[in-house]
Amino acid sequence: MDKFGIVFALVGAVLAALTSGIGSARGVGMAGQAAAGVTTDDPSKFSKVLLLQLLPGTQGIYGLLIGFITMTQIGVMGGNSNISLIKGILYLAACVPVIIVEPISAWYQAKCSCASIDLVSKRPDQFGKAMIFPAMVETYAILALLISILAVFGVSGLSL
Amino acid sequence: MAVLPMKRVFICALKKDRKPVLELLQRMQAVQIESRDVEKEDELFSKQDKSEARALFERNSQTAQTALAILDKRVPENKSLLSSLEGRKAISVTEYEAMVNKRDQTMDAANRLIALDRECAENNAAVPKTEAQIVALEPWLAYDLPLNFAGTGKTTVFTGTLQNEVSLETIYERLNEFAPGVEDREVRIISSTQEQTCLFIICANKDAEAIQDALRKMGFAKPPLTSANPAEESRKLKEELDGLHENTKKLEEEIRSFENRRDDLKFAVDYFTMRAEKYEVISGLYQSSRVFLVEGYILASRSQELENRITSAYDAVVEFSDPGEEEDVPVLLKNNAFASPMEPVVESYSLPGKGEIDPSFIVACFYYILFGIMFSDAAYGIILAVVCGLLVKKYTNMEDSMKKLLTMFCYCGIGTTIFGFLFGSFFGDSVNVIATTFFHRPDIKLSPLWMDPLANPMKMLAFCFTIGLIHLFVGLGAKGYMYLKNRQYADAVYDVLSWYLLLIGCVLLLNTSKVFTDMMGMAAPLSSSAGTVAKIMAIIGAVIIILFGGRESKNWFKRLLKGLYALYGISGYLSDVLSYSRLLALGLATGVIAQVFNKMGSMLGSSIFGVLVFILVFLIGHILNILINVLGAYVHTNRLTYVEFFGKFYNGGGRKFQPFAVHTKYYKIKEDI
Repeated sequence: MDKFGIVFALVGAVLAALTSGIGSARGVGMAGQAAAGVTTDDPSKFSKVLLLQLLPGTQGIYGLLIGFITMTQIGVMGGNSNISLIKGILYLAACVPVIIVEPISAWYQAKCSCASIDLVSKRPDQFGKAMIFPAMVETYAILALLISILAVFGVSGLSL
Repeated sequence: MAVLPMKRVFICALKKDRKPVLELLQRMQAVQIESRDVEKEDELFSKQDKSEARALFERNSQTAQTALAILDKRVPENKSLLSSLEGRKAISVTEYEAMVNKRDQTMDAANRLIALDRECAENNAAVPKTEAQIVALEPWLAYDLPLNFAGTGKTTVFTGTLQNEVSLETIYERLNEFAPGVEDREVRIISSTQEQTCLFIICANKDAEAIQDALRKMGFAKPPLTSANPAEESRKLKEELDGLHENTKKLEEEIRSFENRRDDLKFAVDYFTMRAEKYEVISGLYQSSRVFLVEGYILASRSQELENRITSAYDAVVEFSDPGEEEDVPVLLKNNAFASPMEPVVESYSLPGKGEIDPSFIVACFYYILFGIMFSDAAYGIILAVVCGLLVKKYTNMEDSMKKLLTMFCYCGIGTTIFGFLFGSFFGDSVNVIATTFFHRPDIKLSPLWMDPLANPMKMLAFCFTIGLIHLFVGLGAKGYMYLKNRQYADAVYDVLSWYLLLIGCVLLLNTSKVFTDMMGMAAPLSSSAGTVAKIMAIIGAVIIILFGGRESKNWFKRLLKGLYALYGISGYLSDVLSYSRLLALGLATGVIAQVFNKMGSMLGSSIFGVLVFILVFLIGHILNILINVLGAYVHTNRLTYVEFFGKFYNGGGRKFQPFAVHTKYYKIKEDI
């Protein structure tokens, strides 16, 4: 049973990349549809709406980040992969903020991005402000990422 | 580092000089014309309505624009990817005049282009119609009489179609059934497909009615009527179709022949826009029968120049006055090379309102640093700085806003390079990966000048919070500076000094706790005597806030409650500081993704094939990483500036100084040539 530690840890790492990736793909896809609509009308706004489309994409990167850090810590990418059961579960727990918060925040950020794309299509001069609204949502994705990073590093320092 | 001072200007000149005076103002680009609204126009001075002339110019500009679009569709302009950086083409005054003289021909060309385009569209619409006619005739090609042939003197002829494929026997059978007793009739099948059968029926005149009746019952339909026989008709239609295609080709050829007029058309767009703008200004001026008045705002630094240039050449009076307290004076920012790239950033939030300072300089002090921490890779920084720097250098004619943006990214790149070396990141851990995989020297690596954030996340977090605290304190300081400048000394103590005392006290107090310093990886907690001092500072600050936070209320009870609420604002500071953790998160994201790509590339080892794969993955991966993270760093640096930093002192609300000038799209006219 004690061998199962690595299983739990890897499940955490993989889920982090998985749910975040799904969330971001959905988000960027949704914003992309709005952006394409605006570009049909006015191709010159392409660069602006492209930036707004990409904003919900960062969550996927945060998921990748946590997945990668966890995998290097548990020795899947080389090194010592002998992890106790309790430590494995702790790694999984450390990934939970990212697993849950990233896809949800990506979804809401995408909605915000769509609204901002609409804003830019009507008032291109207000691009600076339009960018800030989706960025506000991202704060919570970052906070979840932060806790997961600290937790993963914290768990690897424990001698359990 | 300043909002440029403005003066009100008042010019009174003779109407005969109206054109040159206005053109002078337009070229100087220093005056925003704005007549104060007068309750009632007096008998002497009134505004002239020039909207008709203006509409005409706008229509002309529109026409030229449409013609240009038609030309661009047929003959796309050769544009390189970077052509948007080239800016507007400069032309001299002589060239300008030559172009102006050509304007009638240009407008003729524009109208001709639009007419050609319309003709072309009509032509293209006729093509499918003709094609359909040809298709409809196809089943009848074997028939050698005109389709509307009705018969001879004694006979009647019916031509037409029946649905589906019908055999000759069936037709005779059904004719017998529906028109019994008619014997003198002859039926020929011209052609038959699964869908329809084309028939020719001839009968004696006396039986015509009976046959027609029978045919109607069988669902007989008339063919497309033609006076020539089908083969002849079809040939004619085909010729017509060829003619249409020929015509389209000719029309397109003619449209293409206008390619050399493209520049003239562009000029026409600009020229008529300019004229329209001038007439818009003229409509806003008060004029009498002999004189006209110009009122507006001028940059104080250029007032002398304006006065000299106008009074030396024309009979005019130019007066300046300082704008009144209540006036909403337009704002123009001017900064040195270090801070001027921040002007668009500030402007896209809001320009400084009344009594506010231009924040560009203090924004710049942190902007490049914050960006640098988030992007944090020396190689990426060098690429960003060099690419943007070269673009700015190469395209000297670039539009101002684009130039500022690229300069900003260039400086941000420098900041990134510095932090990249401090954190030991050069294309992530590429130095170590390359040395290990290809040269088997795992000992070689780029060691950080300061620390590796991935190895010391808590220390890095503490560093980010410290940067954040400094950023917020500077913002608070800017608020204090504005109070002092506006001589609101008491407000500076109540709203700024009190918070400094409280916040610094709290931070010091935190540092006396061993739990906190251990967590943050700091050396040792502060001594308890320092803690006492910190406690006293914090208490003094808190008391000032409680007593004076609600000082606008007369009622003491209400005032204290409001003060307590103001003290609750400390939770806002807490969340503001926490928000700077994004510096750590985004910084790590850049580094870790770079590492992922390096690792992926090096997986195939040091064979030739492995080297090729490494180069490919390295190139694609790092370009992708740069694009994603430049965007992230840019957005979040703006967010920290707008939300956390500006939240402390800056409201904005000023309106932009928009001088009467030449707002063209394609050309700018060089003065004094």
